Amino acid sequence: MKVLVVEDDFELARTLKRALEDDGHVVDVASDGVTGETMASVAGYDVLVFDRMLPHKEGQEVVRDLREAGVSTPVLILSALDGVEHRVQGLNAGSNDYLGKPFNTDELLARVRSLWHGRDRNGPVTRLQVGDLEMDLLARTVHRGGAKIDLQPREFRLLEYLMRHAGQVVTRTMLLEKVWDYHFDPQTNVIDVHISRLRAKIDRDFEVQLLHTVRGSGYRLEA
Amino acid sequence: MVFLALVFALLSYVYYATAFQVSKEANDAVLREYRLLESTYDSGGLRGLNEQVVERSAAPGPLYYLLADQDGKVISGDYDQLPRLPASGSQSEWGEFPVKVTTEDGVEEHKTYAHFGRLLNGPILVVARDMRESAAAASRMTKALTYAAGISVAFSILAGLVAAWLASRRVELLSETTRKVMAGDLTHRARVEGWGDEFDLLAQNLNDMLARLEKQAHATRTAGDAIAHDLRTPITRLRQRLDEALGSTPDAEADREALRYAREETDRVLKTFNAVLQLSRLNSAESWRLTRLDIAPIVEEMAELYEPAAEEAGLVMTKGRASPMMVLGHAQLISQALANLLDNAMKYTPKGGRVHLSCGQRADGRLEIRVADSGLGIPPADRERVKERFVRLEANLSSHGAGLGLALVDAVAELHGGDFLLEDGLASGAGVGLAAVVVLPALDGRDGQRFR
Repeated sequence: MKVLVVEDDFELARTLKRALEDDGHVVDVASDGVTGETMASVAGYDVLVFDRMLPHKEGQEVVRDLREAGVSTPVLILSALDGVEHRVQGLNAGSNDYLGKPFNTDELLARVRSLWHGRDRNGPVTRLQVGDLEMDLLARTVHRGGAKIDLQPREFRLLEYLMRHAGQVVTRTMLLEKVWDYHFDPQTNVIDVHISRLRAKIDRDFEVQLLHTVRGSGYRLEA
Repeated sequence: MVFLALVFALLSYVYYATAFQVSKEANDAVLREYRLLESTYDSGGLRGLNEQVVERSAAPGPLYYLLADQDGKVISGDYDQLPRLPASGSQSEWGEFPVKVTTEDGVEEHKTYAHFGRLLNGPILVVARDMRESAAAASRMTKALTYAAGISVAFSILAGLVAAWLASRRVELLSETTRKVMAGDLTHRARVEGWGDEFDLLAQNLNDMLARLEKQAHATRTAGDAIAHDLRTPITRLRQRLDEALGSTPDAEADREALRYAREETDRVLKTFNAVLQLSRLNSAESWRLTRLDIAPIVEEMAELYEPAAEEAGLVMTKGRASPMMVLGHAQLISQALANLLDNAMKYTPKGGRVHLSCGQRADGRLEIRVADSGLGIPPADRERVKERFVRLEANLSSHGAGLGLALVDAVAELHGGDFLLEDGLASGAGVGLAAVVVLPALDGRDGQRFR
């Protein structure tokens, strides 16, 4: 997919471009807010990655103006200002995700992919399926190979998020933010334990494992 | 001036009120005498009354008498003739008459205030008091009042001078304190006299402010050293490792290992760096939007998040009953503080231990979130110190973490106008354990007052 990176730090822009290209995307780079806004409103990008502090025009302002102009391309804001308050401001301005600097490259790639997939499903989804694992969002039930699996409400939400992002790497931070709505990283690996409990319920009795651990990054649900 | 006018007005009031009271009492005495004589007449007739009047007017006393027959002819008494009585239909009334009094200096005419009336069958009875008597009483009173006024004015002027002197002296003391602080001595404190007045309040506020400033200055000072240590050390280590890798003969596997190490080390540095940044944001005046929220579900959700990890670590995690507890707060920050406490509890509680998470109302009406564990605990002497930034106890220096976890909890508690306490926890074989308590001001219907 096509990604626009607007970042004034040349070295960081270069690294981002390469990382995204390695991940299979087509990447354009702009180095100031005004150029970024023009490019974003003209060319058909799938995802926009904006730095917050940009020359000529602040990233957050650009996003607000783009949204007012009717551009609905998903936006990820990168910023050194990553306090909870700043995140909320950024999201209120119309961006879809917010990542604090410095960040882990895998984290960024996972989020960019997730933005694109998130956009894909526009109609209301009532059923999710990954391999022989099925989730009915209305009845709140989960079946694998026809057998019913009982999940706690939180496990259900965790699995729902993983299924909605099937095939993609989902980081621990993403899970904490999207499933638990916590915007900080605990020291203890609390998420890992929740994942292993979920894994015990959906994978233990089956030959094919669906929930994979991606070393150093996070998890991926895949048939 | 206003004060003097007030004193004058008050004294005038006292004078008039007292003078009124004096003449009222004198009139009452006259009236009583009149009634008494009236009853003498009823029982003893004109003769009995006459005896009484003769006897009384002869005796020295403040009252004057007159008895006249129905035609107005004087029978007995102090007056040489019947005064001209106002024509009136009523039985008895009051009037002012002169009377001649024989004194050592001769004959004087005194004004009298008299009660008079016609008795049954017509005789006229007059009982009067000397108006000079009450005038003299009034003048005595005026004199006393004048003295009192003089003394009180003198006293109030003196008191005013003393108060002004004291006030200026205390202002001088306070400004002396601020001068010393401005000169750089943050440890100086204003003296609180303990009188509980506005100056004490001001001095106390000044001291609280100074304590806070001193704490921050201290934190900044130690943070400088600590940052130097905590960031420079890993960066130096990283640098050495990279030097080593560059200096040795190329080996793909060893190089990759060095790179992995480099990544982990930078991640640690970045984590510390982020934590420092967040702490300074919490400590700075930056305004955090606090909203009305219930901390019971926050505690509930945090327990749910940590419970599996605790079980995995061989700990028993329990939680207390939670009822709605409203505070003015920041949900993310409270959650993060709680996560730090749970991280710590899990890190320092040996396998088989317990962690108890609860929230409730304290005896003083404030609310608390309590994380109690049966772990190693912290010696009471160190409990204050561990809340400071970058402080790690000797015993744990080897463990990871920059020593910022409790500092963050402390900062979050302070941001909410609360306190962060470390107390004895759950007793076990290993010791008394540790209870970390975040105290927050309650926000409810009755005393839902909050500042900030």
